[in-house]
Amino acid sequence: MKRNLFTLSIGLLLLLIFCLLLFVFQVRTSEVAVVTTFGKPTRPITDAGPYYKWPWPIQKVYKFDQRIQNFEDRLTEGVTKDSFNLLTSVYVGWKIDDPAAFFPKFAGSLNPIAEAERKLQELLGNVKQAIVGNHALSDFVSTTDNATNLLWIEREMLGAIQSRISTNNWGLEVTFLGIKRLQLPESVSKTVFERMQAERKVLADTSKYEGDREAGTIRSEADRNAAIMLSQADGMALQIRGEGEAQAAESLRVFNQNPNLANFIFDLDALKDFLKDRSVLILNADTPPLDLLRGPSTNLLHP
Amino acid sequence: MERSTQRNALVNLLALLVVGSAAFAVARSSNSLAGQVGTLFLGMGLLVAAVSWFQMRLEENERLEKLELEDLARTHAGSAMFESKDTEVFPAQRAREQFERLFVPIFTVLLCLLQSGGAYLFWRWLGKPTTVSELKQPTLALGLFGVFALVLFLLGRFSATYARLENNRLLRPSASYVLLNAFICGFVAAGIIAVRWQFPKADSLLAHVLCVLLALIALETLIALVLEIYRPRVKGKVERPLYESRLVGLLAQPEGLVTTAAQAVDYQFGFKVSETWFYRLFFERALKWLLLMQGAALLLSTCVVFIDAGEQALLERWGRPVEGRALLGAGAHLKLPWPIDRVYRFRTEQVQTLEVGVSGEASRETEPAMLWTKAHSRPDTKEEDFLVANREQVLLGATNPPAGKRTPPVSFITGSLPVEYQITNLLHWAYTNEDAPSLLHDVATREIVRYFASADMNELLSSGRLQASDTLVKRIQAAADERQMGVRILAVALQDLHPPVKVAKDYEEVVAATQTKLAKILAARADEIRTNNQAAKQATTITNEACAVRETTEARALAQAALFTNQIPAFEAAPAVYVERARMRTIIPATVNANKFVMLTTNTHDVYILDLQQHIRSELLTALNVTNKANPSGPQ
Repeated sequence: MKRNLFTLSIGLLLLLIFCLLLFVFQVRTSEVAVVTTFGKPTRPITDAGPYYKWPWPIQKVYKFDQRIQNFEDRLTEGVTKDSFNLLTSVYVGWKIDDPAAFFPKFAGSLNPIAEAERKLQELLGNVKQAIVGNHALSDFVSTTDNATNLLWIEREMLGAIQSRISTNNWGLEVTFLGIKRLQLPESVSKTVFERMQAERKVLADTSKYEGDREAGTIRSEADRNAAIMLSQADGMALQIRGEGEAQAAESLRVFNQNPNLANFIFDLDALKDFLKDRSVLILNADTPPLDLLRGPSTNLLHP
Repeated sequence: MERSTQRNALVNLLALLVVGSAAFAVARSSNSLAGQVGTLFLGMGLLVAAVSWFQMRLEENERLEKLELEDLARTHAGSAMFESKDTEVFPAQRAREQFERLFVPIFTVLLCLLQSGGAYLFWRWLGKPTTVSELKQPTLALGLFGVFALVLFLLGRFSATYARLENNRLLRPSASYVLLNAFICGFVAAGIIAVRWQFPKADSLLAHVLCVLLALIALETLIALVLEIYRPRVKGKVERPLYESRLVGLLAQPEGLVTTAAQAVDYQFGFKVSETWFYRLFFERALKWLLLMQGAALLLSTCVVFIDAGEQALLERWGRPVEGRALLGAGAHLKLPWPIDRVYRFRTEQVQTLEVGVSGEASRETEPAMLWTKAHSRPDTKEEDFLVANREQVLLGATNPPAGKRTPPVSFITGSLPVEYQITNLLHWAYTNEDAPSLLHDVATREIVRYFASADMNELLSSGRLQASDTLVKRIQAAADERQMGVRILAVALQDLHPPVKVAKDYEEVVAATQTKLAKILAARADEIRTNNQAAKQATTITNEACAVRETTEARALAQAALFTNQIPAFEAAPAVYVERARMRTIIPATVNANKFVMLTTNTHDVYILDLQQHIRSELLTALNVTNKANPSGPQ
């Protein structure tokens, strides 16, 4: 009897658990649910908590995450108003705001959230390309506007997609949108790289030749200063020499006392200087003191 | 042994061979990690099936040999030859014994090495970041693994039942492996379904579980090898194949848990332990209570939760945050048992990092120096180029060609930017956004792209980094607050920001050119200093020389005047003598070093004194009317 009671208790416990699994389900705070009865949506649930249901196949529960979902679309190429090719990708935040409307449109797929995002991406593709085409490249990238134009573009995209979603009544709400990537096609990127390289070359050459120019200027100015300095020094030297000459002229009066003697002395001084180096003298016997060579002690006759 | 048993074993062998090959091809082509690890189980099953089939054949030969000998013994009764028990008379028996004594232990050791080595190598392989890749053609792989599971399951169940009914011990190992592989193929298929249902790690997780299972089987094989040494040998008792895994058998047929345990104990002790009172009283009766208590303990353990330091947890009751206890801090907490109360843990205190600007697994190179000319990311990742406005083009006054041929007035800047953050409001972090880390990455990327789109590249690369970092922190924080993300942005690091690698060299050349310019200017400055100083020196010399000349002139004039004043009285006293004396005093010293030629005339033969050491110019001799008689062209 005791053994039967134990088996019975275990059986009842297992039955209870089984019934709970069959008749009760839980909805988390982060979830919404739709209960279908024989496939027809009969009870949307937006509040968290435990709920009862009839077991499968009478009723079936579909749960969806009601938090904000976000996804990033693919990087797609478009043309701006000023004919530049631009690749853009955006991220989009959305959530289920009406499970009853959401369920019939997407619950047929294996993954309703992924299916909804796929549909949103299709809508987004059209909207994005159209709005990119309405703006010049400078609205996306510019040093002058502090990226305020980019914010306007995002708002335009968000407004456009929200209006389309509300028209279609998909049971979801797009809450935000942001431009996540801005890129250029590979061929255009190549030309941008080439231009960046050319710009750098211009800057490098500018520096290089500015250096040459400035160095040349400095050197020529230095040469000019040197020439000025030397010519000034020459002038000053002449002036100084002239002053010396003027001062020396003061003493000429003394020589005037006996000009013949003075001239004789000056001649002597000049001759002394004249005969200083490598001079050859050819003298005859009449030149004093060689005239001494004439006379009785020699065989030379007086002329 | 019946022929049908051997046929069954051969079918198992062929099935494992075919399914194993096909499963390997499918797993490789679909990138299923669990499928690839599962292939090793199929391979092990194939080896075990081959050995057991061969052993079966040996036993069959032995049986036939015995029958033949018995037949001959009956025909030739009393012959000594058939009474002999020499092993040479029973070659099939001897072959079987040799096989069991030598080959089976060696094979089991090799099997153990294969299992342990396979577990280790697969575990390491699964740990590599490059191993995990997206499933290819999951639907096809799912279908094929489902078919493999079904085929192996049907075959395995038949073999296992047949082995149990016929008590055929040698069919059991291959039957168990066939069944286990059926379950593994089923799990691989389930893993593929889970991956498609937004559980991308399911396949990897299953592969890891299979590795652990492989390691356990290897351990069991090792223990079996060790215990085999100490097992008592009972003559006549049919021995269990050493390579048969009880764990594989248990996993393949979990309903036989108690039987398997009893068999294992009986086999190891060499007698029927399972029939003793102790075993029946304590093990079989207590088992259900033990299991019940185990279940209860498991349930009770869900009533206590320990939150580690640096963590916070969300407590939900029937899916709703528990009022007043929605957030649990570090420490022990009581809660209602699962599934009523559930806890979700998060690391809130930890500073977390997300990487913007790198596609692929973010990682840092361990290069000692980070250069612009080398990519900062690992080879398997790619740095992204951000668009920045090109202010320089405007400054350089470039003119663009017509539309279609124009280069966009933008530049690129490259860099991986780590954004560090902390979770400050867990309720917002967990309940507002479905994938908060991904959204934060999106928000941060958007703010960085927006900032760069309006920034000057040169400022970003030089003086503007700090300001850019501060601005980005504020902007990302504002955007995160707007999205109610419950995070605090701590820092945005811009240290990796650099021009794209393709143009980095040109940027460095600009810097080099600037330095060259400075060098040239400095060299010219040096030349300037040298020239100016040399000129100054020369000017000073000229001036000083002029001063010296002036002084000399003046002094000389004064001295000459003074001398002359004194010479006048002397002259006047004896004019002729004075003149002659003065002349001599002047000329004689002045001509000391001069060459002197004295021309004297006499009334006798002329006597010439010739200085042959010095030439006299011919014209001079001509003027003096002297002819060179010996050599008219040269001087004498």
